[in-house]
Amino acid sequence: MKRTVTLLLTLALLATAGAQTRADEVVRAIIDNQRGDSGRVTITLTVQRPARTTEYVIESIGDGHDRSLIRVIAPAREAGQAFLTVGDNLWLYNPRLGRALRLPPSARGDSFLGSDIAYRDLAGRDLELHYQAAITAEGADSLELTLTPRPGAPTPYGQIVITADPATHAPLTFIYYDQRGQAVRRISFSEFATVNDRHFPTRIEVVNLLREGERTTVVMSDYTFGIEVPEACFREAALARGC
Amino acid sequence: MSARAAGTARVSAPSTRQTLNLLFRLAWRNIWRHRRRTILLIAVVAYATIATVFFWGFMDGYAESLLSNQARLLTAPVLVTTAAYYDDPDPANALPSLDFLAATADIPSAPRLDFFGLLRSPYTSQGALVRGIMPGLEPAVSVIPAHVRAGRMLTGPGEVVLGKTLAEELDVRLGERLALDVSALAGPQAAGLVTVGLIDSGLAAIDAATVLVHLDDARRLTGVTTATGVAFDAPRGQEGAVAARLQDYLPPGVQAYGLMQLMGDAVRFEIEGSRLSMVPIGLLFAVFAALAVTSTVLVSVMERTRELGMMAAIGLAPKQLSRMVVIEAVLVTAVGWLVGLVLGYLLVWIFATWNIFGPLFAAFGEAFAALGLPAELYTAISPLYALYALATVACAAAFALLIPARRVSRLNPVEAMRTE
Repeated sequence: MKRTVTLLLTLALLATAGAQTRADEVVRAIIDNQRGDSGRVTITLTVQRPARTTEYVIESIGDGHDRSLIRVIAPAREAGQAFLTVGDNLWLYNPRLGRALRLPPSARGDSFLGSDIAYRDLAGRDLELHYQAAITAEGADSLELTLTPRPGAPTPYGQIVITADPATHAPLTFIYYDQRGQAVRRISFSEFATVNDRHFPTRIEVVNLLREGERTTVVMSDYTFGIEVPEACFREAALARGC
Repeated sequence: MSARAAGTARVSAPSTRQTLNLLFRLAWRNIWRHRRRTILLIAVVAYATIATVFFWGFMDGYAESLLSNQARLLTAPVLVTTAAYYDDPDPANALPSLDFLAATADIPSAPRLDFFGLLRSPYTSQGALVRGIMPGLEPAVSVIPAHVRAGRMLTGPGEVVLGKTLAEELDVRLGERLALDVSALAGPQAAGLVTVGLIDSGLAAIDAATVLVHLDDARRLTGVTTATGVAFDAPRGQEGAVAARLQDYLPPGVQAYGLMQLMGDAVRFEIEGSRLSMVPIGLLFAVFAALAVTSTVLVSVMERTRELGMMAAIGLAPKQLSRMVVIEAVLVTAVGWLVGLVLGYLLVWIFATWNIFGPLFAAFGEAFAALGLPAELYTAISPLYALYALATVACAAAFALLIPARRVSRLNPVEAMRTE
């Protein structure tokens, strides 16, 4: 009897661990798809506010992990601004000052170019690091995962519900909830491109669910993935002259 | 010759002391012959004295409240830190060691680690000066723990206590988690902290900006292994002396700063300046009260012209008459002063014992909290106020000498006796 209970408990633990491992793997695959591979891409960023709409054209170079170089090409008044992210370190280049400023890591949570996207949404793997994933629904068309913060995780959210394509693990939506169960932010992914077995969303829409009329759309074009990105692209000097 | 001499001795002028004695008795009798007028005069002087005592009690109490707030809420009674940190409050300039605490164990103290961080809620983010503390030691040097009105004070790592207004701005409630991003010696670091308490001190600077975390969290986030400063307890008014005493135990480069140094020039000048600017107002009180006394004495002199003329006719010299008038003014003012002192000190004692002003000002709204007025505001009590109020008596005597007494000294007895 005792042996049977032990066996059942062991099996239950193994099953839980297995489910956890699978959920973690799915999250990793989703983020891999979201981030894409190392490469170069042109982004059109549209920031909608109740009274105005601003459009930016940006060139982004990334290693597919936690390093990226982003340079603003248009509009003319913003052109030349550049952002370099290497892990938790963030630099901003201001062409008018002609110098790069190192921003505190807290700036990673700040709004990118006044949009609804934060620097941490563009690079890094916070969802893997700070959240524990569980598969909460699995259907033919969609796979749902609920991410809850790990103890002491530096996140203010109560949970994030992710939906993804069950076959390709391409991300479909990320919904961020506050700690009162209210959805505060939704990120939708669409128009996927398949590059090197990765299903990369080329259109991302971020909606602030607390403020009506505030949304940001990211449309990617001219992308090349799986390329060798020179190390020089992730050095401070690349901010001013690009790479 | 001897009879003449004896006669001369009989009619010789009385001594100055005798004259003054006589004038004093006459003046005392005169003031009580016109009871209603005298009571009115006493009331005027008493009112001015009460106002003066209360005015200074309030002003000193206000300044003392500001100083106490500075010592127990905003800074520390005495702070030991490096000279470098005092000039540039960067965690990189933290204390090299806390070994000196062994030698200063008889004075209650609490290590603190202050650093800048970014607080993130799901709705917004805000930069703030975060203070790492030892929850068990902090109450010895600060009253902030006593102002945790909702929830509780920190008990361990992983928790945060926020000012009420700051929590409202971040839209964070008790039990909810905040993200804190920091960049210091340890490089980029972040922590998720659960909000366990909200501070409601009634002081805008505290309620809108206070962020308390456990010292262990602060050390992990900043990479500082000691503290940026150690706050020491000191009785109000003795902060400088305690700082000087502590200095003997501190290693080179580490300084003990008393409250006055910590407050900064702006706050110190504001407190000292506001006190100085009140001196003319206090003097004005005294002058107005003295003028009221003088005008009453003047009316009294005019009403008594016939009587005073009679006194002059029976031998009272003009100088003696005017002296008598001055003595009358001084006597009445002195009685009024004594009555005013009793009532004035009773009033400041009441306001110094019970926090009547705090709720009164709080009822006027947030503006008073923004001005730095604390939720608890008591009047001060000092024997000096009696001296300040004495200025009224002095002014009354001076004015009485100038106006009614001069009028009396110029009195023509014959004309005065004809006056109806």
